[in-house]
Amino acid sequence: MFEELWSDLRYRVRSLMRRDGVERELADELRFHLERETEKYERQGLSRPEAERRARLAFGGVERAKEASRDGRGTALLESIWQDLRYAWRGLRSKPAFTAGVVLTLGLGIGANAAMFGIVDRLLFRPPAYLRDASGTHRVYLSWTESGGESRTERNIEFARYLDFKRLTHAFSSIAAFQTRSLAVGEATDARERPVTVASASYFDVFGARPVLGRFFTADDDSVPVGKPVAVLGYTYWQTEFGGRSDVLGKTIRVDRGLLTIIGVAPDGFTGMTDQGIPALYMPITAYAWGMRARDYSKNYNWSWLEIVVRRKPGVSLTVANADLNSAYRQSTIAEWELARRKVDLAARRPSASLGPVQLGRGPEAGQDAKVVVWVGGVALIVLLVACANVANLLLSRAVKRRREIALRLALGVSRARLVRQLLTESLVLAAIGGVFGLATAQWGGAALRVLFLPNQPAAAVVTDARTLAVALIATLGAAVLTGIVPALIGSRSDLARSLTGASRDSGAARSRARTALLVFQAALSVVLLVGAGLFVRSLQNVRAMRLGYDVGPVSIVSMNLRGTKLSPSEATLLGNRLVDAARAIPGVSLVSPVASVPFWSNEGRSLYVQGIDSIQKLGRFVLQAGNADYFRAAGTRILRGRAFEPSDGRDAPRVVVVGDGMAKLLWPGQDPIGKCVRISADTAPCTTVVGVAEEMRMRSLTDLREHTYYLPLTQYDDAPSALLLRVTGDAADFSGTIRRALQPLMPGSAYVNVQPLRELVDPSMRGWQFGATMFLAFGALALALAAVGLYSVIAYGVAQRQKELGVRIALGASRGSVVRLVVRGGVRMVVFGIGIGTVVALWAGHWVEALLFDESPRDPLVYASVAGVLVIVAIVATALPAFGASRVDPNTALRAE
Amino acid sequence: MDRLDLPQGTLDLLILKALSLAPMHGWAISERIHQVSRATLQIPQGSLYPALHRLERRGWIRAEWGASDNNRKAKFYELTRAGRKQLDAESDAWARLTQAVALVLDMG
Repeated sequence: MFEELWSDLRYRVRSLMRRDGVERELADELRFHLERETEKYERQGLSRPEAERRARLAFGGVERAKEASRDGRGTALLESIWQDLRYAWRGLRSKPAFTAGVVLTLGLGIGANAAMFGIVDRLLFRPPAYLRDASGTHRVYLSWTESGGESRTERNIEFARYLDFKRLTHAFSSIAAFQTRSLAVGEATDARERPVTVASASYFDVFGARPVLGRFFTADDDSVPVGKPVAVLGYTYWQTEFGGRSDVLGKTIRVDRGLLTIIGVAPDGFTGMTDQGIPALYMPITAYAWGMRARDYSKNYNWSWLEIVVRRKPGVSLTVANADLNSAYRQSTIAEWELARRKVDLAARRPSASLGPVQLGRGPEAGQDAKVVVWVGGVALIVLLVACANVANLLLSRAVKRRREIALRLALGVSRARLVRQLLTESLVLAAIGGVFGLATAQWGGAALRVLFLPNQPAAAVVTDARTLAVALIATLGAAVLTGIVPALIGSRSDLARSLTGASRDSGAARSRARTALLVFQAALSVVLLVGAGLFVRSLQNVRAMRLGYDVGPVSIVSMNLRGTKLSPSEATLLGNRLVDAARAIPGVSLVSPVASVPFWSNEGRSLYVQGIDSIQKLGRFVLQAGNADYFRAAGTRILRGRAFEPSDGRDAPRVVVVGDGMAKLLWPGQDPIGKCVRISADTAPCTTVVGVAEEMRMRSLTDLREHTYYLPLTQYDDAPSALLLRVTGDAADFSGTIRRALQPLMPGSAYVNVQPLRELVDPSMRGWQFGATMFLAFGALALALAAVGLYSVIAYGVAQRQKELGVRIALGASRGSVVRLVVRGGVRMVVFGIGIGTVVALWAGHWVEALLFDESPRDPLVYASVAGVLVIVAIVATALPAFGASRVDPNTALRAE
Repeated sequence: MDRLDLPQGTLDLLILKALSLAPMHGWAISERIHQVSRATLQIPQGSLYPALHRLERRGWIRAEWGASDNNRKAKFYELTRAGRKQLDAESDAWARLTQAVALVLDMG
């Protein structure tokens, strides 16, 4: 049987390839047969013509035999498909402008979807590379209720907790702790900050990766509390910094404060849990922790800095694992409180642990980025639909123009199914070319999107990514069917007699209905997209216009990284002062202040006590900022009432504080906060008097209204400053190099300064809105352009059809203007209908998008009105152009035209 | 004499049998079957060639262009080894079938 199939296949392929030869052979064979049969009759005594006739009769239909033979060859289907393809290709080549237009339209739609899918895939679906068992691997999130009553979810966990989990759970085959930090790697002038993943030895168990060189850490290297100073290099780092040489094992490399020995290299593409950059190297978590604080941290429940990833044992369900982890967490909490000699109150604290998916974008801390990306993915889909509607309309017009040819083929006996298949083949070819073009667009455009949106992930070519290719293929096929099915079904309908005799009025009611429906659909989709764009743009404007409480452009943040250099407190203060003086001396720097907190980087806080208020913590988050007398002017924070710091606010002077205005309204509603008393750090501390009210700073989030700030003079601040704030004349980015060069020489040993414009810290928080606004605007404009082109072509076609009618009107005395108005009204009516539908859809979809907007209602009437206005104007223009053309037609020619 | 219509599927069997004796071209097969069946079986000549191509596709016969007895170019078919096996199997099945039918008809 197998033999049979094999020879069957060979035969079919051979016949396909040598089709012409095979046809000739068939003709020869049949001719030979007829000759012999004729001769037979001749021998029986018939004349030649008579013999031929008898032979032909005996044979039966020659053509039929040929056809049956062709069927017997088994290649009929493939041959007719090949025929369709060639026919479609010829047709498309003969109309290059049409083909180019369609390919461009579809290409952009398909490309946009492929690119967006790539991003959504990486953010939400694709697990990190080399993960052994993606569905059985989870991140750990801890939740509890704070003393103020609000609940918190964190994925940053303490080392002591991690040890407890290892000890107390039974449902997991691996529990690993890890974190990615930006550490100084390299010696002296070669030192650069790079992402370094510190991880427990069990981290590599979670992945199925094998080192390309050397080995990974073992439990020995990762012993508590002092780990071994070893490192595993990341593949890319190994290639770029060590030239991929295999003699790298055993060499040492300076990371932060310590000297590590290289013991292995990770494989290509391995990046661990990719959310904070591609690690240059991996080191044992215990070695890092010991280097940070050379104390036993294994019982410290105050330092939550690492993340935990676990792998379930095979056969253990998620619910069972969750319960196991939960009970371990409860026991750990009890142990923690007993250690701190606090009363155990689990009911109030409600600790609970949950296992989340490996992709951050799907967990409880998904963040705004992930949600916006999904929305924009949906938008890309809508644009593709609009593009398809456009192309469908174009194909429909073209099918109608070809109605005579189609009618002829139907009359010749081509079945309707075959005709539909042929028309669909055309749209398939168009979609396929569009798809190829779309992949190119996706590769190029997608790269730009990835830089914007996934800066921490390794770049990958679109063309080699199987899933994106699959999506592009599906989009292409979908586009082919969507664009082709309506024109194919309608175009192949046989209004036979009328078409062949070329009757003038093309009633084609079904075609007009289809066309109108497509147009309304396009208009509605455009409305939805543009409304989305409008809402995001307004959000972005609101975000940008928002007062952050400080100036962003001219401010630069300077931080010190001591890298293990030990300084006594007096040495540290001396260094700090020298840095401040040196910074002031830099040309272009106008003001300098050491600070305690830096927006979007590090916050300080102390407990606060105010008379008459039970627990301040319940009311919000209070961030402490400290600065010198220049601080407010350096940061650009406005003083609203009272005064700023003065030189008289020295170390031994009475305690003063400047509160944020929101904080003032919160703590002393309706009263003058100046002169009020605040106790800081302890209930029994001496009064710190409020001497002024200033703007509040946005420290951790742009939208959290429960964030408040208060300001202390640096001289009265009980800790060391964490950074220097510099104000420059101009844009901070231009001065980074100058500042670094001026201050680095002052640093002792291998310590170095890190200079960052404040903008770099603040901008990422605006990224979500920026992205949404840009993409919605781009796609909305694209959809609108497509719809306008679609409308234009539809009206132009309709006008051409109504030439006779319009000619009659003009001949009967109608003015040109009234003819134009007639046509325009018809077109605009369709668009208005579409606007109506689109508005309803947008209003309905609005409440989902609400969470992504900033200070903007999804029902903003201004946005809806502007979008409707824009669409009506575009509709008028798109319909007026062909209308004017129609009105200029000479009634005589119109009446005589067919 | 009336011509009998060929039961379905038997055309293949007849062609294979005709070719088992010697390779021949399509017309010769048609004549041979007509002669041997004492002129009872007249295959509709048009359906001969599709059957031949079908058999060639399944690998039971093989085709080659050669010179006919009056030196004209003709396409000759011959049985392959797989075809010979198929012929045996089908003749066998045919014999059993006719035997069974005959038994049933003899019943009453």
